[in-house]
Amino acid sequence: MSTNTGTSNTSTSGAAPSLSSYKTIKQIGESVWKNRTVKINAELFTLTYGSIVSQLCQDYQRDFTKVNDRLFSMGYNIGIRLIEDFLARSALPRCDNFVTTSEVISKCAFKIFLNITPHVTNWSTSKNSFSLIFDENPLSDFVELPMDASKELWYSNILCGVLKGALEMVQLDCEVYFVSDVLRGNPQTELKVKLNKILKDEMPAGED
Amino acid sequence: MAIQSIMIINKSGGLIYNHNFIEPRGQMNSNDYLIIAGTLHSVFAIATQLTPLAVQINNKAAQNAESDVPYIAGIGVNTESKGGPRELGSFMGPDYFQESFTNWNKSGLRHMVTDDFSMFVFQSLTGLKFVLVSTNNFRSNTSVSIAENLLRKVYCVYSDYVMKDPFYSLDMPIRSELFESKVKELIDNL
Repeated sequence: MSTNTGTSNTSTSGAAPSLSSYKTIKQIGESVWKNRTVKINAELFTLTYGSIVSQLCQDYQRDFTKVNDRLFSMGYNIGIRLIEDFLARSALPRCDNFVTTSEVISKCAFKIFLNITPHVTNWSTSKNSFSLIFDENPLSDFVELPMDASKELWYSNILCGVLKGALEMVQLDCEVYFVSDVLRGNPQTELKVKLNKILKDEMPAGED
Repeated sequence: MAIQSIMIINKSGGLIYNHNFIEPRGQMNSNDYLIIAGTLHSVFAIATQLTPLAVQINNKAAQNAESDVPYIAGIGVNTESKGGPRELGSFMGPDYFQESFTNWNKSGLRHMVTDDFSMFVFQSLTGLKFVLVSTNNFRSNTSVSIAENLLRKVYCVYSDYVMKDPFYSLDMPIRSELFESKVKELIDNL
């Protein structure tokens, strides 16, 4: 756990020097996950989420647009609280560009909470939107969408809400949505994060 | 150090938690505490506006080095005890964290000393302020580090026992016995 100066500094050129000076973002994420976080069996988590989604489908009489919205708003409520846990655990400094934000999300946040590291790709030319590609998605293990849901339901839509809520609490107003999902027959699961604007007015005093 | 009280102020300047470990001598009602919290919030914001010119010109690299808070072992948590890693809520022991960390509050009020007490402010990235009042008049930098280590632990406890309480509504006063007892535990271990 000593200060491991970045031998494998994979962070992109624009990354904050303050962030990568001691350890790379990846190392921070891994050490927090490994040494600082209590683990549970992932199947318990997967199955709990599954029962929530199936109950929602039943409650909304298979109106999957409503189920998507509901999952999103549940995620949002989780995200605005989960960000405190993430910050207390990792104590990362503020990201000074969106590229760093994307790395923190994929290598730290997803690592700590779900133990996965989605890939970051599809940057827009202005660097204000990116895609997360999920090779594995613990939410959707053991899942097969029923015929009527396979065109409308975004099974893991709760993740969009969580990201939206958490980013909003650090003054990043974003749009988050799924573009494709292996459950729907697409070749990969892709989640898009698009930065609308940085809420400068709500930035807490005391930061530069 | 003798802790007099711990306060938590939400991002809009409202007092959401206050606990006195030593009862203050004067009479203070809950309204007075709310006013203190609001005033502190404003003074904090004013302090950020009144940065000396020399510091403004100073390069960022020097500031970054300064803003790191060293980790101090054994603050609020007994790291000596053996028997494998312990669990501290959702955190895996022996301690909540074991490396130095960034101070998010770069230009706001951080430390205040009077003849009778000293006060330390720790602000999270989301704008939440944790305030610690001690009965000693500490002036050293080490005391600031100790206080910030302790306050980050209070933040960790807050993220576990307040944020994960389904009956807690955001920005409202904290009425959680679990949180209360965990904070007390931290202070008792000091």
